[in-house]
Amino acid sequence: MITTVVGHYPKVGGRGPNLRTAIAHYEVGRISLEEVRRVQDEVTKEVLLEQARAGIDLVTDGQIRWEDGQTYFARRIRGFTINGLVRYFDTNTYYRQPVAEGRLAWTGPITLEDYRFARRHSPRPVKPVVTGPYTLARLSLHPAYPDREPFLLHLAEILNQELLALQKENPPLIQVDEPAILKWPHDFPLFRRAMERLTRGVTVPLALYTWFRDINGLYPDLFRLPFQVFGLDFVMGKGNYQIIRDFPSDKALGLGCVDARNTKMETVEEIVEAVRRVRPLVGLDRLYLSPSCGLEYLPRDRAYEKLVRLVEGAKRAQEVLA
Amino acid sequence: MGALLTTAVGSYPKPERLQQARYKVARGEMSPEELERLEREATAFWIRAQEEIGLDILVDGEQYRGDMVTYFAENLEGFTVSGLVRSYGNRYYRKPIAVGPVGRRAPLTLRWWQFAQGLTGKPVKGMLTGPYTMADWSFNEYYPTFTDFVMAMAHVVREEAMDLVKAGARYIQIDEPAVSARPEEMELASRALGVVTKGLDCVVITHMCYGDFAAVFPHLLALPVHVLDVEMANSNYDLLELFRRHPTDKTVAMGVIDVHSHRIETVEQVKAAIRRGLEVFPPERLWIDPDCGLKTRTVEEALAKLRVMVTAVREVKEEMGLP
Repeated sequence: MITTVVGHYPKVGGRGPNLRTAIAHYEVGRISLEEVRRVQDEVTKEVLLEQARAGIDLVTDGQIRWEDGQTYFARRIRGFTINGLVRYFDTNTYYRQPVAEGRLAWTGPITLEDYRFARRHSPRPVKPVVTGPYTLARLSLHPAYPDREPFLLHLAEILNQELLALQKENPPLIQVDEPAILKWPHDFPLFRRAMERLTRGVTVPLALYTWFRDINGLYPDLFRLPFQVFGLDFVMGKGNYQIIRDFPSDKALGLGCVDARNTKMETVEEIVEAVRRVRPLVGLDRLYLSPSCGLEYLPRDRAYEKLVRLVEGAKRAQEVLA
Repeated sequence: MGALLTTAVGSYPKPERLQQARYKVARGEMSPEELERLEREATAFWIRAQEEIGLDILVDGEQYRGDMVTYFAENLEGFTVSGLVRSYGNRYYRKPIAVGPVGRRAPLTLRWWQFAQGLTGKPVKGMLTGPYTMADWSFNEYYPTFTDFVMAMAHVVREEAMDLVKAGARYIQIDEPAVSARPEEMELASRALGVVTKGLDCVVITHMCYGDFAAVFPHLLALPVHVLDVEMANSNYDLLELFRRHPTDKTVAMGVIDVHSHRIETVEQVKAAIRRGLEVFPPERLWIDPDCGLKTRTVEEALAKLRVMVTAVREVKEEMGLP
């Protein structure tokens, strides 16, 4: 069993330099952008160590530099401008909406330097994370394209270049985030075409992560997509326990079993129970245990405690169920 | 009730002096008494401003509240407050956590309502955050289910509403902005509002932000309140079409001022919006207000927007010969 995280991690609340203060100072012209970047580097290092200290096997860089999962990519893809605030699904958080005002173009790697930096400073293996084309398209506007389909398929080609660039670094796994497909499952035929374009020529293992809902309407076709790991939310998507009756024997399941949207702590026994319930579907060696989604919905101290508990739960499950 | 009554949704910007004072109190450099003095001063400023501009139903401007959920949580039993969580960009807030049965130690907003009402002859609305929003924007470590949490909050909000009515409040607004993020839970929000408003002897308003309400529109129209206050300016008045197709005998407070934009609307723009509203509702069941609280605007922007709004209403009324 491998313990991992889904994506973001709280940016403030650590012992090191305070990113919130740094950005506030930057906004009033008291410090330079380089100084903000230096603080982001320091916080990223701190977060990498914090995840390792909690005992997580496969970490992310915490996405400390991302203002949100959409903007971070859209700002670096030519043709996008950034619009006003929009609520992110049913959370009480907001992202800035990307708008494809012109024809899009990939002008160079977006996450590559971040990945190199994280790998250099992490005691544990790091997985790069890329927001998937479907979610990026769904949460954007596209006046420069006649409708969503060509926009989405073009975005898939652009992000395919991102995956190919990351692949050259030989990461253990590249994660693609596609929470939006759970909300609009009737789009699956189009989603499949986008995923095929996105993954073309990619030979390193790929993970597809979703959250906030179950996969109702997508089972079993989702698991036939060209990914090796499928990360699902079993907290807000409790229905997944019933929906998945069969899981392909050559793929791995990401079991999001610790609630990343509530401070209430799971017990070790609850985590063991989650593993026990999927045990008939998938061998323990093909399980990735994680929180239900990114941890930035929690305050920093609780995010860390949740990871510690996740690792305890995984250890106990290994002892009890192996 | 009169025609085209004007009101505001709740919050007004805090003057710079008050903002600074809040930081100083947090750092222990100012006494809470001094802060309260400034909060009263700011409240009086907004009451005077609303009277001068000519609004019909006033609000106290929430100068003493940091955040619409945290303010209540900090003053209720059963809540603690978390470390910082980010809402967007570089904005962070402390999120309430329900750790025990929620309940009131004492009335929360009553004193402020009495203070504001004592400054004016016009009615001041009692402003409460609704049970659904209180629960949704908090962590829950105590209640077995979200529904349990919402319904427990409903009883707390009801007690506060009853105290306000007893003190003489004729209008009470229950804010439920969280519902728009999950329209499928409108029924739960409605059930909770029912607990709050049952037998309450006043005009009850609920404010909601814009959402994809088409599928739950009958539930929206069935909410146990007299006035539905909804954002319209920032959604290009899409909801008007739904109201046209589903007639209601409720009063609708129509947001005609975009609170997220620095740009001040023109009188003509607002008049055009009011006329669109009047195609769907009779003037005695159409109220005019900004989309949402104005607290993110500057004081000058907020005043300018309210002035444009009231001028537009006055001109439309004159043109139509309305009292």
